[in-house]
Amino acid sequence: MTDRQPTGDTGAAAGAAELDGATVEVIRNYVVSVAEQMRRTLVRSAFNPVIYDVLDFGISLYTADLELMAEAAGITHFLGANDYAIVKGTDYVGPERMAPGDVYLLNYPYWSGAHSYDAMLFAPVFHPDVTGPAAYLAVRAHWMDLGAKDAGYVLDSTDMHQEGLIFPGTRVVAGGEPVRDVLELIRFNSRLPDLTLGDFNAQLAALRTGEARLAEVWDKFGYGTVVHAVRRVIEHGEAQARRAVAALPDGSWTADDWIDDDYVTDDLIPIRVTVTVDGDRMVADFRGSSPAVAGPVNLPIGSTLGIAKAIFKELTTGSVPTNAGHFRPLEVVTDPGSIFDARYPSATFTQWSAIVAFELMHKALAAAIRSIPASSGGDEPGFMALGRDSRTGADYVVSNNEGIGWGATQDHDGGNAQQHPSQTTVRNTPVEVLEHKAALLHERLELIPDSGGPGRHRGGVGVLREVRYTEPGEVLSMKKRSKTPPWALDGGREPRPSAMTIWPGTDREVVVGMYRAAMAAGDRFVNRTAGGGGHGDPLDRDPAAVVADVAEGYVTPAAAERDYGLRVHADGRWEPTAARQARQRGDDAAPRSGADPAPVESSGS
Amino acid sequence: MTPAPADHLRLAVDIGGTFVDVLSFDERDGRMTLHKRSTTPADPARGVVAAVADLHPRLDEVGAFAHGTTLGLNAILQRAGADVGIITNEGFRDLLEIARAAIPASHMYDFSYAAPPPLVPRRHRLGVPGRMDAQGRELLPLDEDAVLEAGRVLVEDAGLRSIAVCFLHSYANPAHERRAGALLREAYPGVAVAVSSDITREYREYERTCTVVLDAYIRPVLSDYLGRLESELADAGLGHPLHIMRSGGGAMTSSVARTAPLTTVLSGPAGGVVGASFLATELGLPKVLSFDVGGTSVDACVVLDGRPTEVHEAAIDGFPLQVPIFDIRTVGAGGGSIAWVDDGLLKVGPRSAGAVPGPVAYGRGGTEPTLTDAALVLGYLDPAHFLAGAMEIDTAAAAAAVEERIARPLGMTVQDAAASVFRVLLARSVGALREITVERGLDPREFALLSFGGAGGLLAAMLAREMGIATTVIPQVPAAFSAFGMLRSDLQFEFAATALQPLDDKYLERLGPVFDDLASRAEQMLSEQGVKPAQRRSVRSLDVRYRGQEHTLPVELHPGDRSADLVQRFHDLHRHRYGHAMPEAVQVLTVRVLGTGELPKPGLQPLPPGGTPGEPVGTRRFHDVAAGGPVDAAVFLRESLVPGQQVAGPLVVEEGTATTVVFGDQLLTVDRYGHLFVRTREDQ
Repeated sequence: MTDRQPTGDTGAAAGAAELDGATVEVIRNYVVSVAEQMRRTLVRSAFNPVIYDVLDFGISLYTADLELMAEAAGITHFLGANDYAIVKGTDYVGPERMAPGDVYLLNYPYWSGAHSYDAMLFAPVFHPDVTGPAAYLAVRAHWMDLGAKDAGYVLDSTDMHQEGLIFPGTRVVAGGEPVRDVLELIRFNSRLPDLTLGDFNAQLAALRTGEARLAEVWDKFGYGTVVHAVRRVIEHGEAQARRAVAALPDGSWTADDWIDDDYVTDDLIPIRVTVTVDGDRMVADFRGSSPAVAGPVNLPIGSTLGIAKAIFKELTTGSVPTNAGHFRPLEVVTDPGSIFDARYPSATFTQWSAIVAFELMHKALAAAIRSIPASSGGDEPGFMALGRDSRTGADYVVSNNEGIGWGATQDHDGGNAQQHPSQTTVRNTPVEVLEHKAALLHERLELIPDSGGPGRHRGGVGVLREVRYTEPGEVLSMKKRSKTPPWALDGGREPRPSAMTIWPGTDREVVVGMYRAAMAAGDRFVNRTAGGGGHGDPLDRDPAAVVADVAEGYVTPAAAERDYGLRVHADGRWEPTAARQARQRGDDAAPRSGADPAPVESSGS
Repeated sequence: MTPAPADHLRLAVDIGGTFVDVLSFDERDGRMTLHKRSTTPADPARGVVAAVADLHPRLDEVGAFAHGTTLGLNAILQRAGADVGIITNEGFRDLLEIARAAIPASHMYDFSYAAPPPLVPRRHRLGVPGRMDAQGRELLPLDEDAVLEAGRVLVEDAGLRSIAVCFLHSYANPAHERRAGALLREAYPGVAVAVSSDITREYREYERTCTVVLDAYIRPVLSDYLGRLESELADAGLGHPLHIMRSGGGAMTSSVARTAPLTTVLSGPAGGVVGASFLATELGLPKVLSFDVGGTSVDACVVLDGRPTEVHEAAIDGFPLQVPIFDIRTVGAGGGSIAWVDDGLLKVGPRSAGAVPGPVAYGRGGTEPTLTDAALVLGYLDPAHFLAGAMEIDTAAAAAAVEERIARPLGMTVQDAAASVFRVLLARSVGALREITVERGLDPREFALLSFGGAGGLLAAMLAREMGIATTVIPQVPAAFSAFGMLRSDLQFEFAATALQPLDDKYLERLGPVFDDLASRAEQMLSEQGVKPAQRRSVRSLDVRYRGQEHTLPVELHPGDRSADLVQRFHDLHRHRYGHAMPEAVQVLTVRVLGTGELPKPGLQPLPPGGTPGEPVGTRRFHDVAAGGPVDAAVFLRESLVPGQQVAGPLVVEEGTATTVVFGDQLLTVDRYGHLFVRTREDQ
């Protein structure tokens, strides 16, 4: 029932008698609050709306052994990547070379597990009872510019050296004093030096808060007691996760999918995962996926770990604060040099492939776990706009993370227009903010009828945004899953994938996924995001739900007849089509357990 | 105004989850009387009128009546508001549903999350042609026929009685919204029409839409309730207007509240914060944590220099609202929170036993131990004094539950197990309080803790010890302190205009007439509400931000200010709030005039000096966190304590509706007004 450890197991926790379960919980709360206070400090000090408004960052605390003690709410896959980066960063620097007050900067993609603009600062924390660092703190945030080949985002780099200035774990603060030479290097290499160094200072403030607060926790409870309590918390986390994995069915399931292209060639990129549940452990094996490609869609291993951890967390301990124990039952396997384990000098700037791979794990697991939803549109279908606003004479860079329809589940319809599941806590940018900061004018921002994949439960609907440039500028469309439709489950139907149409209705019209285009005044784009995949045969959908969908305009009467087999009249009356009647007769003749004669396509994997 | 000789009573009524609190303040002798009566959820006005009548059958002697209502809040939480229709720009009918597309942080790993249905279904959201740009210039004129047609569909076809109007960039130019509002009101006089720019002039279209929809959503409910209350209280002899608390401080007459219902949404908790701000000023405490401990939640607010902090992005139940709201955070948990053991670790909450079945000790079927059960085991609560003895309490059952569910699985004594429930709850509360002070760059140890609510005195001394806070204050009648705060509120009205210009001297000069116009509107409003000129004040301020930033900070305009003074004030404020100032240019987004009508209100009444210091009425064995075990504590009755009296802990102060616990390393001092000060003992 309980997982209390034998009394002898106090080891390094010198002088700490065995801790009771209340003291452990008290200390756990204090440690989690240290991470939360770091988060508040970061948000309070940040210059960059991507940090204080979009909340694009990750904060973690580690033990002397580099095990995750606690983290603060942020971007889910950043958090998992921090765990890998802290190991590589301390290994590069060498703990023995670290001194109190030092801070190190890491954005070498293959170690930091993210693209070069997601800069991680980390700091050792010392305690008199131990030689060497007694703990580590890490704060990762998205920086606005580090001098990559293009402003905004780089869509077509072919090696790391086109992706900005690289720091492998460079000392940026020595004994509490900022290292001027390094900061000046950043200043002279960034297109937006004030914002970038402003964010650096905000991250530094968060680290200083963490240092002071952690020292207070050690003072209050005693260093040995805290170490012991944290070990208990991690063991508790491991037990929770193992129990959750053990409750899943055993087996091994493979899924395949495709990333659009690498923006250097036009070719689909195949990816594959095999997920195995074996007792209380799980393996995510990405072998068999494409080798690393020329363009910047490759993932360093730290990023792949981040995805696998997020999905594993969902399946096991999603509602509790994370610690290292939660991930002990998870193993990730890759082919070195593949798209999921890119090596120097592979380009890694546009890691949308991580988002596609995130859903790929769901696709594999859906074969065995009934609660997994169908595809939530495929990936994050955002865009960026750049230009100079003559009203202010200032250059602008604005971005927007667009909502997408989520996949239907066996229990309910998918959510309409929500952020992709891989970045649940991010927010879109208001129309009024975009139009205020950039020379853009919105013509429309609406939900798209019939965009949700039909099913017994319908996929959520996507969003249509039509924007006109009022002055010359550039648009960046950012999607990596626009060529293949999001997948459905259990006889549900696939929706249309996301896409951006640039110059619609002109002879220059193009429909694109990842794309960069120069826009003249008056030029328009339409960003259309996918719906979620459907779940179950749409002919089985409750007529009342179809009628309600038609009344609300989520489904048009034509689609109700075509996909759901219902003719819905303006006054709400309805009658079944021949297809629905045939389906019902089929059900009556052969109950659910038997072979169903209805021509339902069974999907591939 | 000279109060008529008969107008010596001031009443405040606060509605909580289970009780209506009526606080009566007698100006002649400064006495406060608290009366409680059960709420009547089916017809809330009836409970209020009955509770008032219990205390004062006739209201002729009442000179002021302040009220904090939770009706609007409850309508939102229970989704029990009116069916609302939205009229917005053509092509943007889905703004409310698209929202910011974010998932609540509590669901960040729930990858099959589906948001609850939007407050307004899609078929009741209509777009009409017309468009402003970000500078407030008209790009496309409003199609008035389309507005009337949309109104017809919503009112005549769909049968709606409440309509919200919100157009893009109306913060910059509200002309289309105002015209649409006027057309609809003229066509449908019986329908409530709410217009976004009447409520907020902030940008962000989803947040503004949500604000006006919530306003429209609670308007009919609140209007009916206030109408009933006004007429019944008038029948009982009330000869003065009913004053309703605003969520962000100040009060308004109920007739104004009916036109701005959303500003009442957190009017109950606001009373406590206003009271805390008043005490902070009167007692000379520059940094105060106001700490309101109720049965189901603990609400905290940072009060700096006598001013409560306002929330940065206000939200209720996930709905953002652009109206001023105090930054009140719910921390920890309340007396009903359940303690349980999860794989050898002790957890408290988040589940609560609520009022039914309630704590095990209530004997209403509860089997899981709660914080209240732990408090009984530890001797912090006395079964005989519980709710002034109004309820049968089974301490033995509470102890048995703590033993079975916590002590045995953890291998502890029952006492240790119960004490541990408090330790875990405290650890959570300490974290939350640190976070709300750290956010403002402050250290919680610099604060005084002002603790009130029914269980405020129970947790305060323990919390202060845990956080290293030197001074804790328990006010008079802590259970009714929120109502006391309502009695301290002035009438306030704010008028605003959008600016959107760089802050320089030339622009400041151009703003002069704008401010004058707003000020005269405020004057007129105060005059209409019966406020005499001598009681009127007004403050001018500007919402300012760095160019390129989205969020603004308010800067007060003093007579004779040059733009450089305002810019400096803004830099200082920004550094204080966010930790840095920027070299960027500074812009004005909104200019405001806040008109205040001072109301007569109770001050602090010193207790008669001298008197015989109260003696203990007995002893009670309780768990002293200073000693780490049970000790005999002296029990005092609050009414026996006299100014200047000092008693060293461990001790308990009982006052019927509240209990204050003081530990062995703490000293209790009674100030001249009868406030209890708990401090760390110097000799410790």
